[in-house]
Formats: sequence, structure tokens, C-alpha cells
Amino acid sequence: MMREERVRRLPMALSALVALTLAILPLPEPAAVFRPDFLVLVVFYWSIESPRAGGLSLAFFAGVALDVIHGVVLGQHALALTLMAAWATHLRLRIRVFSILSQSLTIFALLTGYQFILFWIDGATGNPVTSFGRWLAPVTGALIWPLLVGTLSRLHER
Amino acid sequence: MLAFRGSDTSSRSTGLLLRCVLFSLLALGLIVLDRRYGQLDRVRRVLSVIVYPAQVAVASPFVGWAWFRESVTTRGALRADKDRLEEQLRIAQFKLQRFDALEAEIRRLRALRDSTAGLGERFIIGDIMKVEIDAFRARVLVDKGARDGVFVGQAVLDAGGVFGQVAHVDQLTSVVILISDAAHAIPVQDNRNGLRTIVVGTGDVSRLKLPYISTAADIVKGDLLLTSGLGGGFPAGYPVGTVVEVKRDPAQSLADVEVSPAAALDRSREVLFVWLPPGAPTATDAPLEPPPAVAPKATTPSKAAARPKAAQAPKP
Repeated sequence: MMREERVRRLPMALSALVALTLAILPLPEPAAVFRPDFLVLVVFYWSIESPRAGGLSLAFFAGVALDVIHGVVLGQHALALTLMAAWATHLRLRIRVFSILSQSLTIFALLTGYQFILFWIDGATGNPVTSFGRWLAPVTGALIWPLLVGTLSRLHER
Repeated sequence: MLAFRGSDTSSRSTGLLLRCVLFSLLALGLIVLDRRYGQLDRVRRVLSVIVYPAQVAVASPFVGWAWFRESVTTRGALRADKDRLEEQLRIAQFKLQRFDALEAEIRRLRALRDSTAGLGERFIIGDIMKVEIDAFRARVLVDKGARDGVFVGQAVLDAGGVFGQVAHVDQLTSVVILISDAAHAIPVQDNRNGLRTIVVGTGDVSRLKLPYISTAADIVKGDLLLTSGLGGGFPAGYPVGTVVEVKRDPAQSLADVEVSPAAALDRSREVLFVWLPPGAPTATDAPLEPPPAVAPKATTPSKAAARPKAAQAPKP
């Protein structure tokens, strides 16, 4: 058990780091709105795949990293990511046996919930983003989910 | 095959719930501490140093590419560049001759009025890092931070005019909020007649607006708006933008005024951080003669008010 966890931590850390890089990579103006929340997707993946290896602490610290990068109130992304990762962990046994389409739909729901918590805290702390564009990220995130699962499962099954 | 192979079947729902509540409370605590008490600046600075390598790593290919392009430019391009820069320098020096004289005159007049001569701000130059911060907010990351003395609320300029202000400061970097951000407002003064108002961002990088102008106010297309220095955040007298459109609907009490920013908000690569000298001058009470260095063709205020079209296109 211990051995297995240690083996799994490396791909987890690596994928989180790559996702973090993708999150801050500058994109041209029209494409930036469509950028999926890579780090969030990676956290969801590991919450479903092996909740014991990282689990909620991974979600929390990834959220804090996002807070620092986006320069918003500290704890905002951490709260949203913790709650949604906990939900994903709770649903993991069902999600694993879903068809890939149902998985994408579930991930879409989780991402929308994540955006909603962000939206709510943005408003509560007094700097709301009212643009409709922020609700595009869950759509693109759900669309690339199959790709992400394929890549990450290859990565750690080697 | 897109399948998970995880094999833990033990349902540890209670443990999960407990940890979820624990981490959520921790996050909520962070939010309250940061928002209500502002106690986490130090923590944020330390954390930002940790993510700094990732930001540098992402920005470095762009820096490398710029360096590569600079190193392989041809001799001809360099010569053309040099000619252009020399010409710019000559024009700038030509204007500066008058500027020196005018500055001396202002000092003398201020001395007569017993106010401190608040000219001569201090600057440092920062490079904008090619890193995405937020797709929905107009913010950029600049490679100068608390280490260089940058502080929150500091005015940031570029070669064209006012660029924005510092939103928050980390140890090595700082985040600058652009004047085009929907949450940003800056006090300005019309260069033609001294009318004071506030320029508000729209979220669109090429457009600002004046939401508090009554339909009867004297503002016309082409008016240059300068910082008024009211509020103390920005130094007075720097260009913010030019009025490009004024829509007056008689049914409304406020006019719809569009402004195009003077700074190259989406193209600048370097910005200036400004330190105001203590006791910097704020807006002038009466409309003075516009500074000729900025608007050489503008007429005196009374004439301009009578014939608004005379003051169009004041930018050299």
C-alpha cells in the first residue's frame, strides 16, 4: 500500500505542475476566454483515481496556488476546489464505471459548481466579473476531459 | 481504454466529510483574514516567490524569442531603427528645450504662490511579464516588486500616458491593474477648459468612458484628458486619453462619452512606476493655459469654449 502511494505521487506532482504552467501560459486575446481550468481538471482526476495519494490536501494547495497566481483574495480558489474535489471523491466509485460521455457531463457539473463558488466569492468580496465568458471554461473543460484521462492514465500506468 | 484502475473500495465517507469541512473552514478562514483584516500580505509574498519560477519559466520563451529576433536583425533594419530613434530624439529634445524653460517658469510662479514646487517625480522601469493572470480582468504582471520599493496604489505610466496602478505587490513582482479594467476609475481634467471628471474603464482595452458628464457640459470630440492629481494617487498632468465620441441624448441627464486611452495598454512592454514627491501639486483651480508641449494648437479657454472645433486634434 505504502509503496503504491509513493509510486503514484510523482505523476501527480508532475501533472499538477504542468497544469499550473498551462494555467499561466499567455494565450491570444480571443482564445484566453476558452482556456479550460487545467489544474482543476487534474485535481479532479486524482480525486477520482487515487484519493488517498493526494486527495483534498492537493486540492487545497492547488487552490492556494491559483489564488496567488490570479491575485484574488487568498482562499477563494482553495475553497471552491476543496468542495468540488470532495464531491468528486464522494462520487468516484460511480464516475469510474461511467461511460466517457457521462464522465464528461459529471465533470461539467463539477466545473460549473466550481465556477459558481468563484463567482459567488467574487461578488461577496466586491469585485464581480459579470462577463458571460467565465461560464465557457466548464464547457471546454468537459470537452478535453477524455483527452486528459487518456493522457494521465497512460502516464501513471507505465 | 479510458478507464480508472483505482481499487480502493472502502467507503470512508465520514473521513472525507471531516477533511472536506476542515479544509473548507481553513479556506474560509483565509478569505476572512485576507479580506477583512489584510493580515496575509506577508504570506502572499512568500507564496508568490514559490510560484515565481513557474512564471519565469512560462515567460522565458517569449523573452528568448525577443532576444533572438533582436540578435538576428539585419544591418539595414538596425540602421533604419537608428535613424528613426535619432529623429525622435531630436524632436523630443527640441520640445524639451521649451519644457525646461516652462518648468522654470512654473517653479517661479509656484514660488510666488507659496506652494511647493512638486515637479521631478522619481521613476523606475519595469518589464511586463508574458504571463496570463485573469482573462476577465485587465491586469498584468510586472517584474518589479516590494524589493524595489513598489507599493499598492502606485501610479504606473507608459510612453504614451497613464497605464494603470499597482493592485498588489509581491516580493519580486507586482500586479498592475490597467485603466481599462471595469473596476478602475481615475480623476482627470479636460486640457481645453479644466473640466474635472472621472474616467472609468470598460473592460475593453481600447475604450474608456466618462459616465459622469452632464449633457450640458462642455466636452467635444478630440479633447485631451489629463490626470488632475486629485485623490493623490496619480501625478497631475499626464495624458489619460482623448475623447473620441460624445453622444448627447436630450432625454438623458448624462452624456455618453467615449475615450480612447493615450497609453498603449495592449502593446506596451515596459512601464514606469512613479513616486510622487511630497506635497505634489493637484489640479489647478482655474483653467490655465494648456501646456504647449502637449497641445500646441489649443486656443485660450474662452475662445475654445465659444468655438469648440478650434481645439480639435491637439495631439502633436
